[in-house]
Amino acid sequence: MTRIRLVNVTKVFGTTVAVDHVNLEIESGEFFTIIGPSGCGKSTTLRIIAGFEVPEEGQVFFNDKDVTFVKPYERGTAMVFQNYALWPHMTVYENIAYGLRLRGLPEEEIKKRVKEVLELVDLVGHENRYPIQLSGGQQQRVALARALVVEPSVLLLDEPLSNLDAKLRLEMREELKNLQRRLGITTVYVTHDQIEALSMSDRIAVMNRGRILQVGKPDELYFRPRNLFVADFLGRSNILDGTVVGPAGEGQLLVHVPSIGADLVMHAYENLRGKVKVIIRPESIVRARPEHNINLIDARVINTMFLGDKLEVRLRVGEASLIAYFPNNERLGVDETIRIHIPPDRVVALEASG
Amino acid sequence: MAGSIASDSLERSYDIRHVLGTGIIAATLYYLLYYVEPVERGSLGPEEALAWLVAILLPLALIARGADVSKVRFSFGWSFAAIISYVYVPLILLLGVPGLPRAVAIAITPLMVAAFAYSLKEFITQYRAMKSKQIRMPLHRRIRSTLYKLDLLLASFLVGGLTILTVFLLIPVLLILWNAFTPPIGQPFYANFKRIFTSYEYVRLIELTPEKPWLFINEGGTRLLLIKGKNYGILLNSMINSVIVTSVATILGIIVAFVLSRYEFPGKRILRVLALIPLFVTPFVNSYAIKLIFGPTGPISRITEILFGFRTQIDGLAGVTLAQIMAFYPIVYLNAYAAFTSIDPSLEEQAENLGARGFKLFRTVTLPLALPGIAAGSIIVFIFSLEDLGAPIVFSERNLMSYAIYQNFINYTGTILPEAAALGFVMLALALVGFLAIKSYVGLRSYAMLSKGGRWKPRSRKLGPLGLAAVYLLLLPLVIFTMMPQLTVTMMALNIVPANTFKIQLGEATLRYFLALFKDPHLFMYVRNTLSYALTAVVLAVTLSIIIAYAVTRTRIRFVTGFLDALSTIPLAIPGLVVALGYYYFFSSVFRGTSLDPTSGPTVFQAWIVLILAYTIRKLPFVVRSVYAGVQQVHENLEEAAMNLGATRRQTVFGIVLPLIVAYVVSGAIVGFIYISTEVSTSITLGAIRPDQAPMTFYMMDVFLGGQLEGIQYVAAMGLLLILFQLIAIIIIIYGLKQSYAFIGA
Ligand SMILES: Nc1ncnc2c1ncn2[C@@H]1O[C@H](COP(=O)(O)OP(=O)(O)OP(=O)(O)O)[C@@H](O)[C@H]1O
Ligand SMILES: [Mg+2]
Repeated sequence: MTRIRLVNVTKVFGTTVAVDHVNLEIESGEFFTIIGPSGCGKSTTLRIIAGFEVPEEGQVFFNDKDVTFVKPYERGTAMVFQNYALWPHMTVYENIAYGLRLRGLPEEEIKKRVKEVLELVDLVGHENRYPIQLSGGQQQRVALARALVVEPSVLLLDEPLSNLDAKLRLEMREELKNLQRRLGITTVYVTHDQIEALSMSDRIAVMNRGRILQVGKPDELYFRPRNLFVADFLGRSNILDGTVVGPAGEGQLLVHVPSIGADLVMHAYENLRGKVKVIIRPESIVRARPEHNINLIDARVINTMFLGDKLEVRLRVGEASLIAYFPNNERLGVDETIRIHIPPDRVVALEASG
Repeated sequence: MAGSIASDSLERSYDIRHVLGTGIIAATLYYLLYYVEPVERGSLGPEEALAWLVAILLPLALIARGADVSKVRFSFGWSFAAIISYVYVPLILLLGVPGLPRAVAIAITPLMVAAFAYSLKEFITQYRAMKSKQIRMPLHRRIRSTLYKLDLLLASFLVGGLTILTVFLLIPVLLILWNAFTPPIGQPFYANFKRIFTSYEYVRLIELTPEKPWLFINEGGTRLLLIKGKNYGILLNSMINSVIVTSVATILGIIVAFVLSRYEFPGKRILRVLALIPLFVTPFVNSYAIKLIFGPTGPISRITEILFGFRTQIDGLAGVTLAQIMAFYPIVYLNAYAAFTSIDPSLEEQAENLGARGFKLFRTVTLPLALPGIAAGSIIVFIFSLEDLGAPIVFSERNLMSYAIYQNFINYTGTILPEAAALGFVMLALALVGFLAIKSYVGLRSYAMLSKGGRWKPRSRKLGPLGLAAVYLLLLPLVIFTMMPQLTVTMMALNIVPANTFKIQLGEATLRYFLALFKDPHLFMYVRNTLSYALTAVVLAVTLSIIIAYAVTRTRIRFVTGFLDALSTIPLAIPGLVVALGYYYFFSSVFRGTSLDPTSGPTVFQAWIVLILAYTIRKLPFVVRSVYAGVQQVHENLEEAAMNLGATRRQTVFGIVLPLIVAYVVSGAIVGFIYISTEVSTSITLGAIRPDQAPMTFYMMDVFLGGQLEGIQYVAAMGLLLILFQLIAIIIIIYGLKQSYAFIGA
């Protein structure tokens, strides 16, 4: 369907640079997520793709066609707004049919397609209600139906789940993902919820202060962040100081970590030297098994917390205190000393200043 | 070491009070000099310059040494004083008033200096910050971005709105300026203004024949106390009158609003409704009713006759002031009431927790928070009072600016003296300066309206016995008293009160006069004219309002958007007579020789077209305000969602925006209709050229100027008709459209 490409896109509001030289390539049919803290420029990026804002610099391409100055109503994107933006003076049916009417479809065809899409979002029987008579979740689904019914080539979603309660959010997350996969629409999804991003996306872009910091598959981003911001923003991490000892094979470094008094082999994006930051995810720490031969350390259990799906363990290693997640069937006593292993491809060294 | 610390802390302790102190020193200096050798007019000469130097340089020195003058912007009292100084000081200098008023001017000059210095400093810091952070984009890209956001429809809204307002508002006003600077032959270009600021006719600082503001006269064997006020010249009279009217109306409005919004007592609901009655606009007749009530046969006169043995009459300037206070105080009341009820009660509770009680709470928390709303009402009163023609005509008071300008239209020489243009311009300047000053003052203080948007129950509490007594003995009579004009008009229309004496004659009640409005072809002509003009003008004003409100909210083009916004609200500050003058010049020059030319004679001139245009532009702000509020309610996302699905701008405006703002458009139209049907200034000036095309207000004026007694009953009937219009309007707006009825306010 549609491949989206942003080249050097910059958007300035007065003195704020909302989007700062952003380069992105979103593949056709991909579920692509932009994540970042509030005010980092996510919505603005989405609005540039939809054509509600024109960038001050750079270009937007849809399938190699420059659409930077193409009007929103000629782009064929469909957006679901954070506040849904349902038209309060129209019924559910009229809201959904609006886009089809604009395309001049015969009323029969419109009826058919509205019915189909209502089935898709499970809202059959609500056609004649006004938005104000619907719950938040239902409104959200109407907004989605209104966007999907026109069979857009690009679907843009701006924090569509943020106004829903936790349970509904979980449900909708799955539904949305299934729908997208079934229809194969190129989807750009904006959120500041990391779980949402990690669980739904094919690829994720992490944004901060208008810049894209890293683009990658969820696990890549999670276990191998490119910089401290990404590491910090997605999930919890143990961050330690280290000094590079030397290279240790393909894309790997040997790093001395004084606080735990050991040398660890780890992943690195660049050939770093000198001081580095070492990022270890709690999940990356596992109990050593016989087949492990490197990155083995002795640790003392300080305390444990049963979290239902996992066991959170605070460990003391040398002078450092580490958080680890173990399977929830693990039995550990306080003050017990255990041997732990950190897989080299699950620990990453980052430039200390990054 | 110790010395340096001391001087350090000394420096920091200078603040706005020290700055004012320098003014008092300078003023004392001036007054001593004046006392030794007084002048009648103008300055003392070089000696006085010393006082001014002190008043300007000393505060500057204090500021340079680090005095903290931020209060001139942020304290509600100090900043108000600073704004007053901006207006007062130049006026005193322009008029050459010596003595105490001048000493006051000198005393507050340091505030003006401080405010100016502070604003300048603020501006420079902001400008620097902006410059240093500004990101420059290539020009062609900026132009392309702007054009991208401006589709054809939006662009035509912007250009159309700007063109219409430029042609029908800006150019006429500029033509006044042009004519104002057309001096009599052989005199300097500013001659007209010079005359206004110096001649005895306009500014009367020294009395040639001593005059008393009140006197006893013998009339028919009994003594009559005649209160007329004192004539200080046309210019000063207008200013003094407007200042008194505004101040008294503001204080009254605040008191009534505060009691009604904060206290519970039996009968409060009725009182709230009654307090709205004075809002009904009935041009001329309400002033006439006041003239009767305060006339020799009125109730006041009877009371003084019984108590003191003489009758009383209020007339002339005093009558104008009184009539205006009674007519305009509800404007402040309505604004103040809205302001008091919109204050988040937790703000006051917070202050109470900290120990503020009673009047201190009111003065330090409640009033400052409500001030923007109150100030918005007060400035409207000031402008209304300045431009009012109804009261001056009814009280035959010629020594006011409005009447002096009006005189030019009725001298039937066919031309308007350039001096009238200059006078119109002075009036415009006074109104505009006041309006802009208050606007910036209010803008700075809009925090009151920004407090959290939730709905709350306004604070109100029960009144104690003393408070109840005060309400029933003072407030109730006051409210009933201010309803008197409308009541009297109604009774006069039904012949319950005869035309020339104040007495109740229930037996004589008749609908004859009211029905004559529709039966008598001559009277019906006026009714029909008013209705058809008002309806046409409302349609135009609504269309223009939608165009402007939409363009203003949906474009962000530097200078252009803001300019259009300003142009659409500014007619609020333009006195009606100024519009009349401007239109006279505009149509007699640009349309010279056509049927739109007012000088083309009473058979050729098509007054109705000019009147409809004038109504549309003059009352535009009231319609725009409502439509604008509507457009602002429409979240931009709603429009984007439509465009995103393939709707063009035109389809979005007509399919999404308009249906959503219908209620606002209708209530704007209704308010506009009320204002237009009661319009006076252009109706009785430009309308007078074509009496057969004139509206009701022209007939009303004609009756009072011609002094036909029979006519007064018909005029009262017209007043009643207008009251009925307004009653229906209120009912539609409140119950039909579920909107708040806020007729007036900036
Ligand atoms: N129309 C605008 N005018 C001025 N500044 C804007 C405008 N829109 C966005 N900004 C600014 O641009 C920056 C990025 O805004 P944006 O809405 O893209 O953030 P966001 O990542 O979507 O945040 P959130 O998670 O809070 O929705 C912010 O600093 C914001 O204040
Ligand atoms: Mg956002």
